[in-house]
Amino acid sequence: MNDPRGHIVRDRVDDVYKSHYGKLVATLFSHYPDIPLETIEDIVQDSFAAAMTGWTADTLPANPAGWVFTVCRNKAINKLKGEKNRWLQLDEEMDKEENEGGNADLPVKLLFACAHPDLSPKIQVVITLKYVANLRVDAIAGALGMTADAVEKMLFRVRKKIREEGILLTDPDPSLGASRLPTVHKIIYLIFNEGYKPSSGDEAVNEDLCEEALLLAKELIDHRLGDTDTAALYALMLFNAARFRSRTGASGELLDLDQQDRSLWDQPMIALACDFFRDAREGAMSPYHYEAAIAWLHCTAPSFAATDWATIGDLYLRMLRMNPNPFVELNYAIALYFAGKKSKAFELMNGLLRQSFLSQYFLLNAALGKCYLLDGDYDRAKTFLTRALEQTGNPREIAFIRSLMEKIP
Amino acid sequence: MEKFLLLVREDLKRRAKLTPAEFDHQTQLMTQWVESMARSGNYLQAEPLTNDGRYVGREYVVSDGPFIEAKESISGYILITAESFDQAVSIAQGCPLIANGVGVVEVRPILIMSNE
Repeated sequence: MNDPRGHIVRDRVDDVYKSHYGKLVATLFSHYPDIPLETIEDIVQDSFAAAMTGWTADTLPANPAGWVFTVCRNKAINKLKGEKNRWLQLDEEMDKEENEGGNADLPVKLLFACAHPDLSPKIQVVITLKYVANLRVDAIAGALGMTADAVEKMLFRVRKKIREEGILLTDPDPSLGASRLPTVHKIIYLIFNEGYKPSSGDEAVNEDLCEEALLLAKELIDHRLGDTDTAALYALMLFNAARFRSRTGASGELLDLDQQDRSLWDQPMIALACDFFRDAREGAMSPYHYEAAIAWLHCTAPSFAATDWATIGDLYLRMLRMNPNPFVELNYAIALYFAGKKSKAFELMNGLLRQSFLSQYFLLNAALGKCYLLDGDYDRAKTFLTRALEQTGNPREIAFIRSLMEKIP
Repeated sequence: MEKFLLLVREDLKRRAKLTPAEFDHQTQLMTQWVESMARSGNYLQAEPLTNDGRYVGREYVVSDGPFIEAKESISGYILITAESFDQAVSIAQGCPLIANGVGVVEVRPILIMSNE
């Protein structure tokens, strides 16, 4: 382990882990159904540990994934030795997979398997990150603002279900695939949002998570498994990802849209998003279409002041008619404020405040504080900003609210 | 999608003793959970309840009684949609009061009256 070039091995092992962990687990699980899933995962972990100690910078295997797979298989066979094991006869498919380190279509199949209707969206997200995006438990915990222990507990419960029902084994047939597509979209959307919202993780934007979400959507499109909603979702994420760099200032502080440097926006990415958004328009409107349209209006507005807030407000209203949602209603109210319909905006926000759970919502109090500040109603601004300050523990959000409070004369 | 009522139960004596700051913090955790349900499209409505309650029967009205005596009483409700009973249970497990060991959640499917 004192190899000065040890990082070369570590990086390589990490790469293989990143690209193959879920595939290895699923492949072994499908070939050795009598081995419990926990044991399968232990075998895969052990095999990666073996790679860490067994490889040196000079003796990296030509096919690292195949190497790990062979070790996994041997360990699995050892586990089963001494038992009556009809499944030990390896079929040709198995040997073929060994060369590739897994079946190429497997990640997409796994994605649909993770969209199991009996699991909560949160668990669907966690197992997608674990088995499709191949993130380690501590990375998942960090990304979702959970403790590693909580993620482990969640995985423990879901493994039990996987064992009982063979969820990861399920090779969704085409009709099932289509019925699960909306859930797959939701998983991708939620992963992107987790990366995008500043309250999770250490970074202002967890770009890795956003990138995973983009990759998953692209995977669906490339495999022709998506529909127009997939295109809308992909466009929506691209429109937002194109603006990542401007969301924070020089010292990493959060910037509101009106303070962002629009020249930092990734124009080629916006153009790409427009292409997919055009494809999406052939289909019926979904919430992803509305959100993509809103993001498109932001991306193509020459300035904050010149933004078409009236249309954005209208799009939020249509979203609300489709699915009432107090959190979307807040966005609607903010759009109304900037569209010049201030009294209606305050009326809506104060209405939301009367909903008990919303009254403790950081973004509602922060938005009210900011709008009253812009309106010159400093007493109210101070009240709401003070409340918002008590409602977040995120250092970036605290700094953001403090910077607003400094503007109160 | 089917509808489910999640009844949150907690020890009302413990709840009554929370300081305003503790109570706000508990509510903020619930708000974050409610927001995550709204984001995933499962949320319909939710409200916490006060610690008061009265039981009304044919010949009596009782204050407090069972509410205070019972170890755990209803302290709030959440109406959600879910794809299955199992998913509703899985969503309910995300309640922060369960994680903190101060509450339990009862999951009840809404009865759909069939005219057939």
